[in-house]
Amino acid sequence: MDHGRGHSALHRAPAGWKLAGALTLVLTVGLLPRTQLAGLLVVAVILGGLCVLSRIRLLFLLKRMLLLEPLVLGVAGLMLLQPGGGKIFVAVMLKANLCLLTTVLLANTTPFTEIVRVLQRLRVPWLFVTTLTLMHRYLFVLADEAERMRRARVSRTFTRGRRFQWQALSSVVGQLFVRASERAERIYNAMCARGWK
Amino acid sequence: MNAIEITNLKYRYRDGLEALRGISFCVVPGECVALLGPNGSGKSTLLLHLNGLLPEKVSGDGAVKISGEALSPDNLEKIRRQVGLVFQDPDDQLFCPTVAEDVAFGPQQLGLGEKEIAVRVKLSLAQVGLAGFEQRQTHHLSHGEKRRACLAGVLACEPAVLVLDEPTSDLDPRGRREFKALLREIPATKLIATHDLELAVELCARAIILDQGRIIADGRTVDLLSDEKLMLAHGLERPHILHHRHPH
Repeated sequence: MDHGRGHSALHRAPAGWKLAGALTLVLTVGLLPRTQLAGLLVVAVILGGLCVLSRIRLLFLLKRMLLLEPLVLGVAGLMLLQPGGGKIFVAVMLKANLCLLTTVLLANTTPFTEIVRVLQRLRVPWLFVTTLTLMHRYLFVLADEAERMRRARVSRTFTRGRRFQWQALSSVVGQLFVRASERAERIYNAMCARGWK
Repeated sequence: MNAIEITNLKYRYRDGLEALRGISFCVVPGECVALLGPNGSGKSTLLLHLNGLLPEKVSGDGAVKISGEALSPDNLEKIRRQVGLVFQDPDDQLFCPTVAEDVAFGPQQLGLGEKEIAVRVKLSLAQVGLAGFEQRQTHHLSHGEKRRACLAGVLACEPAVLVLDEPTSDLDPRGRREFKALLREIPATKLIATHDLELAVELCARAIILDQGRIIADGRTVDLLSDEKLMLAHGLERPHILHHRHPH
């Protein structure tokens, strides 16, 4: 689903401005010293305002953030291993979550195709933009394929053993990888057939 | 001059499977030919050869000629301009986010100007009955719409030869009927690999039957498909439409 299509003021704002704003916020958060809690607080307030402006339900945004939270926790968790890591952990968690909220907000108020168009206008290397476009296009196809395989697996799964389910899942992931790589070859052929150089 | 000329074409996949074992035939300009045969008979492999997508390194041995010109590493681009290939799975072919961008892909690769591209996009979408679909997301189209968008993307390159791989598979009866009517309107030389035998009868005066990488028969579609023994021997069957056809 493309969640970027809505009717709030933030949805309607030009994609270029939103991308620039998001980049500024992420850079600001990243460059602020971790002792500058006031600065982070200002960013948090700005983001809070933008959330209200976007009229997206808070629970929806939090759920989206939760999806990527293991990644953030993994990185921040490493900080706990060093002496006095507690404070750093809190600061990293705060910073990472602010950045995460910025990108989640951007992704859910701007259609992906518009973001790609802005990147093209900014003359971001074409290989990067093409890869990004293709990734977005085939994410849905792969997700559909995974869902079909999951359904097919579930319809023939009669035991409830958790270990078996993990084993089956690993074979699904393997199959998906093989299918994705075969599809990539077919897509490349289709691109060549229409003159891709 | 023949639109397509294939002479003793052989191909073996890297895993050792011999997909084509000496194929030879010609297609004259404006002809519409059905390529029939069971699964794994080499139809799709043959179609990929017409666009120089197989073998991985085009040898230039003259086995495949398009409009009298032998396929070689130097003229791949030119040949691909002349031969429009519509793939079996529309999801493989629609790789751009919106319909307009996808249809514009071919003309862009041809190096056309923006105005010309816009005109071609509009015309080809109208031709396949998808006018107004420009900004639709490709992954949200129905299967029938995807097929049409694929065809529009190829028509936008204005190919002289149109090669279609299973164009009506997975379409509902109405979608099939409409797609057949659409194909009938396109004046290009057509080579259609299909299991849809009714399509073969309705659209193609001539048919080639392929099995295990060899041409088994080449002749009038109605004659070949009426030969029940031949049909059954090669995984096909006499289509329903011929049962009701009167001899006069």
